[in-house]
Amino acid sequence: MLGKLDWSAIPFDQPIPLVAGAVVLVAILAVLIWVVVKGHLPYLWHEWITSVDHKRIGVMYILLASVMLLRGGSDAIMMRIQQAVAYQSQGYLPPEHYNQIFSAHGTIMIFFVAMPFVIGLMNLVVPLQLGVRDVAFPTLNSVGFWLTATGALLVNISLVVGEFARTGWLAFPPLSGLSYSPGVGVDYYAWSLQISGVGTLVAGINLVTTVLKLRTRGMNYLRMPMFCWTTLASNLLIVSAFPILTATLAMLLLDRYLGFHFFTNEAGGNVMMFMNLIWAWGHPEVYILVLPAFGIFSEVVSTFSGKALFGYRSMVLATMAICVVSFMVWLHHFFTMGAGPDVNAIFGIASMIIAIPTGVKIYNWLFTMYGGRIRFATPMLWSVGFMVTFIIGGLTGVLVAVPPADFMLHNSMFLVAHFHNVIIGGVLFGAFAGFEYWFPKAFGFRLDERWGKAAFWFTFTGFWITFMPLYIAGMLGMTRRLQHYDVAAWRPWMIVAAFGMAVLTIGVICQIMQLVVSIRNREALRDRTGDPWDGRSLEWATSSPPPVFNFAFHPDVRGEDAYWDMKARARQQSFEHDVPEYQDIEMPRNSPTGFVCAFFASIMGFALIWHIWWMVILGGIGAFATFVVFAWRDHDEYVIPAEEVARIDRVNLEERRSLVSMAGAV
Amino acid sequence: MSDQTHIPAGHDLAPGEEEQHSVGERILGYVVGLVLALLLTATSFFIAGTDLVWQPSIPVALIVLAIAQMGVHLVFFLHITTGPDNTNNVLALAFGLLVVFLVVGGTVWIMSHLNGNMPPMDQIMMRQ
Repeated sequence: MLGKLDWSAIPFDQPIPLVAGAVVLVAILAVLIWVVVKGHLPYLWHEWITSVDHKRIGVMYILLASVMLLRGGSDAIMMRIQQAVAYQSQGYLPPEHYNQIFSAHGTIMIFFVAMPFVIGLMNLVVPLQLGVRDVAFPTLNSVGFWLTATGALLVNISLVVGEFARTGWLAFPPLSGLSYSPGVGVDYYAWSLQISGVGTLVAGINLVTTVLKLRTRGMNYLRMPMFCWTTLASNLLIVSAFPILTATLAMLLLDRYLGFHFFTNEAGGNVMMFMNLIWAWGHPEVYILVLPAFGIFSEVVSTFSGKALFGYRSMVLATMAICVVSFMVWLHHFFTMGAGPDVNAIFGIASMIIAIPTGVKIYNWLFTMYGGRIRFATPMLWSVGFMVTFIIGGLTGVLVAVPPADFMLHNSMFLVAHFHNVIIGGVLFGAFAGFEYWFPKAFGFRLDERWGKAAFWFTFTGFWITFMPLYIAGMLGMTRRLQHYDVAAWRPWMIVAAFGMAVLTIGVICQIMQLVVSIRNREALRDRTGDPWDGRSLEWATSSPPPVFNFAFHPDVRGEDAYWDMKARARQQSFEHDVPEYQDIEMPRNSPTGFVCAFFASIMGFALIWHIWWMVILGGIGAFATFVVFAWRDHDEYVIPAEEVARIDRVNLEERRSLVSMAGAV
Repeated sequence: MSDQTHIPAGHDLAPGEEEQHSVGERILGYVVGLVLALLLTATSFFIAGTDLVWQPSIPVALIVLAIAQMGVHLVFFLHITTGPDNTNNVLALAFGLLVVFLVVGGTVWIMSHLNGNMPPMDQIMMRQ
């Protein structure tokens, strides 16, 4: 009846996950009860859960990423404490628990923090920057988000029901095969990634189509803001790389469920093929994450330097070069696996070559700042912090791209320090910069600068204190994923790293405080003009938060930095705005398709993990039926009448006019 | 979004969107495609079993027929043409082909190395 599921799946003997799970469960229940009692449920359902508005979906992606960042961060804290205390002792985490924690930490941070964060920002901003009213496929967008949430849900269920993988974040066989991982941990891992992978692929297709097909009048490719370019590149990579992940995990699942021998040691399986395939996805994946961050930095640096982006075309070229070359470097993740010198040499050289377009970008940002009137607001701090941090991460990356050096450093703490250096210093700093930069656009009030700057400085210094010691420990020969160790020389560095983790935690608390303080002071921080940073691209041309239709008229773009030009023209021509003729606007109707589909996908995923076959069929039929009902819908749009559009738009125009005339007077 | 006021920046069209032709022409296009596809399939099956041609040429012939089949599908069913309204689709196809070439070619190359240098234990034993 319930497959492999019974009471032994609940880890009653392990207090840490049980207590953590109970606390989370109580918190969720409390929030749910509060929502129901206060009568917010209809609002949540109509305005958020069933929303197909790209801005709302973007916000929900970022919310999911933030919550999961706390979960992944707690794992990180536990690991740092474990390694600080587990010198010549067992520490406080039993080995099988420690293994689950580092596996969950990696999986969550990449798939459920970094990915939703950047996809959320792209969703929120790209249609606004392109001057359009929504993404290409609004309902599909909602489906993509909810499927990602399903994956996150399954990973978190594994905390209390059953176990998570103990295999590391990429579940290499034969360890992840049935004979060495007979439990449900790897199944939790694989099914949550399969389901959220569908969501990611859908989001990728959606955003590629949006950038290629929906641009406002005059928005040529070479007038698109840099963030749109990096979005295009990143989503092209999603569309071409994620199918590899899906196929690879599908083969692993066939091995585990139906006795296939793709990646087993016996019967002609080849475990090295798994390494090869998963990294053919895995390396483009890091560029999927970091390219949008590069786009965010481009926007932020140009806005806060008050200058157009230096070398726009070289930036476009560098982005697309990274997009292509990222598919030529994957072997550098397994130099040590036995390829010959010519293979290693060529992939090593390709890995070093990819640093060149990245270097071009760094110089472009520096030259954008050069001679500019720089304002060090919080987003700009994150951007400058990124440049300093990322250069070190990039340099150690070029170092491990040299095969002989990699033979020494492979799987050491040096490598751990390197990829945290680029992922935290690149992706996470970028996500925070984008969060601070676009928050006023999404919610209509700015974030508190004092707490924001405190969060930056604590996170920045915390990062350096945590990860520089790991480079040194790696040089001293410490390998990654050690549950305990007996080498005295490593101990001081682990203690320093744990101290750094404490500083990082203060940074996270500052970030939460910033949100709380800003929400309480939202009237004082209100952004009435829609353009709090003196921005350059079209998202600042509409109000904050933007109306559901984004723009009353499709903006007419005449050059790069579209909104900057508009402001300049408005100042010169003393604003003889001819009163525009407002028209009815058709917008897509909200749809519960995404939520219902993900609900059935969650049931199906959970049932697959526990081999509850009747429930698998039930979930599958439910998800398919949802799709059929959606495909046969009759009304997919509603009309916002012209008077309503006019009313909303006039308020915004008034505010904006007063802003421009004020700026003109100064 | 069926927002008709919306003018895309280029004149690039999605597959299936370019049909300004009448229904008859479109059906004709699909019929021609179907006939060609069937013809190529039938030829492949015929070649595979025949002894009318020089035997070692059969695999080559099958590969050629398979590529022709892909071409027919791309042109008649997926509407990939070389017209100026189709740049995106051609570029997307080229990028897809490049990625497939890199991943498949790279994999074959890498795996042949790994298999040569790191054979399973029983094969190492046999060599010694």
